[in-house]
Amino acid sequence: MPATEYQSSFLRRISIRRNQVISMDGNHEQELEDLELFQKHVADWFAGLLSPSEELISSEPLMSISWLRKLVDVFLCCEAEFNTVLIMGRDPSQICKPPLDRLIPELMERAVKALDICNAVSSGIDSVRQCKRFAEIAVSALKQKPIGDGQVKRARKALSSMLTAMTIDDKENNCKGAERTWSFGRRGNTAGANKERAVGNFRSLSMIVAKNWSASKQILAMYSNLVAPRGGEPTGLASPVYILSSVMVFVMWALVAAVPCQERSGLATHFQIPRHLAWAHSIIALQERIAEEWKKKEKKCSAGLLEELQKMEKLGQSLIEFTDGFQFPGETEKMDEVTAQVAELAEICWRIEEGLVPLQMQIREVFHRIVRSRTDILELVDNAGKVSQPIV
Amino acid sequence: MCNCQTIMPSYEAEQHIIAATQHILKALGASKNLSDEFKRVLTELDSHLSTMTIITETEGGRFSEIEEQLKHAERKIIRWESDPCLIWDSGPMEATEYLQAVNEILIVIESLGGLSLSENGKPKEIALRAQNALQRAMSRLEEELCHILFQHKQYFKPQYVLLHSRAEGVFYDESFASVEDEIVDETSQRDGEDRESAECYLDLVDPCVIPNIKSIANVMSASNYIQEFCEAFIDIQREALYEYLSVLEMEKLSIEDVLKLEWDCLSRKIKKWIWIMKVIISVYLASEKRLCDQILGDFGSFNSFCFIEISKDSVLCLLNFGQAITTGPQKPEKLFRLLDMYEIMADLHLEMDSLFSEDNGSFIRIEYHKLLSGLGASARETFMRFGNAIASDASIRPFPGGGIHPLVKYVMNYMRLLPDYCDTFNLLLKDQDIDESNAVVEIDNGQDFSSSTSCPMAYHLRSIASSLESNLIDKSKLYKDDSLQYIFLMNNIHYMVKKVKDSDLRLFFGDEWIRKHIGKFQQHATSYVRATWSSVVSMLRDDGNTNLKERYRRFSIAFEEVYKNQTRWCIPDLQLREDLQISTSQKVIPAYRNFVGINNRNVSDKHVKYTTDDLEELLLDLFVGSPRSLHNSRRR
Repeated sequence: MPATEYQSSFLRRISIRRNQVISMDGNHEQELEDLELFQKHVADWFAGLLSPSEELISSEPLMSISWLRKLVDVFLCCEAEFNTVLIMGRDPSQICKPPLDRLIPELMERAVKALDICNAVSSGIDSVRQCKRFAEIAVSALKQKPIGDGQVKRARKALSSMLTAMTIDDKENNCKGAERTWSFGRRGNTAGANKERAVGNFRSLSMIVAKNWSASKQILAMYSNLVAPRGGEPTGLASPVYILSSVMVFVMWALVAAVPCQERSGLATHFQIPRHLAWAHSIIALQERIAEEWKKKEKKCSAGLLEELQKMEKLGQSLIEFTDGFQFPGETEKMDEVTAQVAELAEICWRIEEGLVPLQMQIREVFHRIVRSRTDILELVDNAGKVSQPIV
Repeated sequence: MCNCQTIMPSYEAEQHIIAATQHILKALGASKNLSDEFKRVLTELDSHLSTMTIITETEGGRFSEIEEQLKHAERKIIRWESDPCLIWDSGPMEATEYLQAVNEILIVIESLGGLSLSENGKPKEIALRAQNALQRAMSRLEEELCHILFQHKQYFKPQYVLLHSRAEGVFYDESFASVEDEIVDETSQRDGEDRESAECYLDLVDPCVIPNIKSIANVMSASNYIQEFCEAFIDIQREALYEYLSVLEMEKLSIEDVLKLEWDCLSRKIKKWIWIMKVIISVYLASEKRLCDQILGDFGSFNSFCFIEISKDSVLCLLNFGQAITTGPQKPEKLFRLLDMYEIMADLHLEMDSLFSEDNGSFIRIEYHKLLSGLGASARETFMRFGNAIASDASIRPFPGGGIHPLVKYVMNYMRLLPDYCDTFNLLLKDQDIDESNAVVEIDNGQDFSSSTSCPMAYHLRSIASSLESNLIDKSKLYKDDSLQYIFLMNNIHYMVKKVKDSDLRLFFGDEWIRKHIGKFQQHATSYVRATWSSVVSMLRDDGNTNLKERYRRFSIAFEEVYKNQTRWCIPDLQLREDLQISTSQKVIPAYRNFVGINNRNVSDKHVKYTTDDLEELLLDLFVGSPRSLHNSRRR
């Protein structure tokens, strides 16, 4: 995993720095140096995501699974480096003084929101995997030779389950709860729902996401009180807190945009990082590109910006059109086109299978890491404060 | 079509068979005599051939039989498409007939399997028609499956579940009625025993329809539509589980929501969660897994795939609540709930591991163990913080009356609950670096520390007691009056000893600690008597300068002063109060009696303000906690 590459070099760097720390006594200079390094790394890592090397550009386009895996890795690295900057900070008492006495609790609140987002995203990844299973059925049906009405109908049914599972309106998830009643088409009762409803479209009723929870509201709440420290102020640790918060908001926002997630209206408006901050240039550029994609997406009303998901959706629609118009034996030219599309869909299924499980694991790692850091930081605050409070 | 390939010869294989047969014919032509062995083999071949559908007729008649067969099956399948009734609701005959029709189609497909279908012609046409009919049938079967599962799902009503919360010494009563708690109890005791016994399973679907579901699974699998079967099955069963969780009143809460809850509410939700975990993991999911095995056990790994897809979301949701609890602030009152949670998860971990034993369940298994160790760490941390909080609890003003400080009450009552969690606690405290997943296993080995004063918990309890003691000494220094310092320490240490002696804590503190601390509070009592009464009694002593009347007067004033002060002081424990009054009497009364006895002739009664009996009685007013004064009422 790329994470280990990043992390190993990162750990080496920390240990080198530790040694330096011991030999140095200029605390303030060290702190400035730490901060500069942190900013530089953040800038470098995101620059890598914005403009990957030539050979990666085609294999890892923006918002593809492998790109998102790198994004999550970058977050893990930022998070780790932030912790060392904060925890190894030479003056722990800073943490209880303004402005940190306000900024740290705010960061902790953001962290809690990020935990809930991780859960929602993980659940969204499960929906994509379910879509993939339907796509696989369609692929295996359309691969049959010779192809007849039976296999075409089978594929159509699977593809339509796939698209239904995908295009469920974000908002709809809110009002559907466990009390949803079952109704099966034409038999036994009067409800007129069609047969295909029976399968494949309830995936979005995630158990783990609370009822009125809204992904976009959470994102908004994460940055509504996020303000860049002003240049003139003696910022100290305020600056790394701002950097990590921005990175956290950006990464969570991108993940929510990528996979199906509960309630995402207004996601196109992203938070603004001041343009003069050098470390943020690539993030700002990425934000703009993703927001642009999102606006296009909102018009199409599709499930998410995940490259593979979009392709799966496009191929699904095109193949459904084919199945609708299919008349045995099918024109040779059309059939060749379909064969190519089926091969492409099969390839995407394979990529999803290969990539989404590791991505889900990484998101779980992000979750646990945020939990751990939060605990560490709260302890740090506790120790630094040492205000003895009577327990009775 | 992997199944079919093994049954049906491919074109190439057929060519081989033809060549071999020609070879046999040639050999038969060459010899007149047949050996027994040869005969046997040929007979076997003959019976084999007679059971096969033989496509050896002339081109025209060759497929007519197959086509007839297909038409017959198609008719049956199409007939149902216009029928508003469900096949399985219409009776077993109908269902059997329908399945038979599907099987006929499969036979048609099978018998055509060996033929080359690349060219247009009769075989291809029949094959495609058969595929089409099969698809229609499969679609129908999927629908039937959903209906059967949905209409025959069974909820066991979760009634009467007692959750014994030891930390409160009370029972969790939600006034449920009784079926399930027996089941739950039994399952929790059955670790290591035969897990197959019937009691721990419930029928999530009416058992009478299981054969129907299974027959649908069989035919869909034979038709290579098992994926469709699984998706439909997963959907309905997952939905049923969600619904069941809402019947159990399991709420979907985000971590943020949980962190915002008030403690009382959170505590209630934790108790509920513990109960739901037990019901879901050891009863519901065990039953779900059995259902998956019953229906899909014959088709490779589909059973575990379906089981995981059905249960994953709900399990993660349950674990997420636990995660939220470990994420929240570590307040002392949370300790017992954390331990309750830890214990239930430790109890269920073997069941959990076996439910999700397959590779694709490892994600859930890992999350489960992470949460388990997280709860352990959180409990430990909470306990340590508790110790630190005691050490650093500072007061500014002395506690009025010298009675039992609320901190002591709180800490002792808190500690009194811990012995119930002894085994768990020892594991958590024993080696703090130990990996929890190893530690859990040891619970089952039942290392018994409970009667030992040398287990980790005993050590930690005594260390908390000793921080409490030094905190008390600090607090006692806030009193300006030495005597009150002694009373305060005596009271509080006595309280500690009493709490230890009257509970299981005595097993952990041990006789020596108790003896030593009895000695301590007695020492404080003695010091009190000396500090207060030595100077009072010394008023009676003849120092050579003071006359008798003056000595009486000074004694009375000193006594009244003590009386005024110390009736306000408080010794809540009656026995302790009485003991101290007695030792006070023993110090004061004999000295006074002696003094009065020697001097009663030399001084008139009006100077003797108090008789010995008066004093004895007055001493009983001390330490009651209600201030009195002698200047008016008691003066004669």
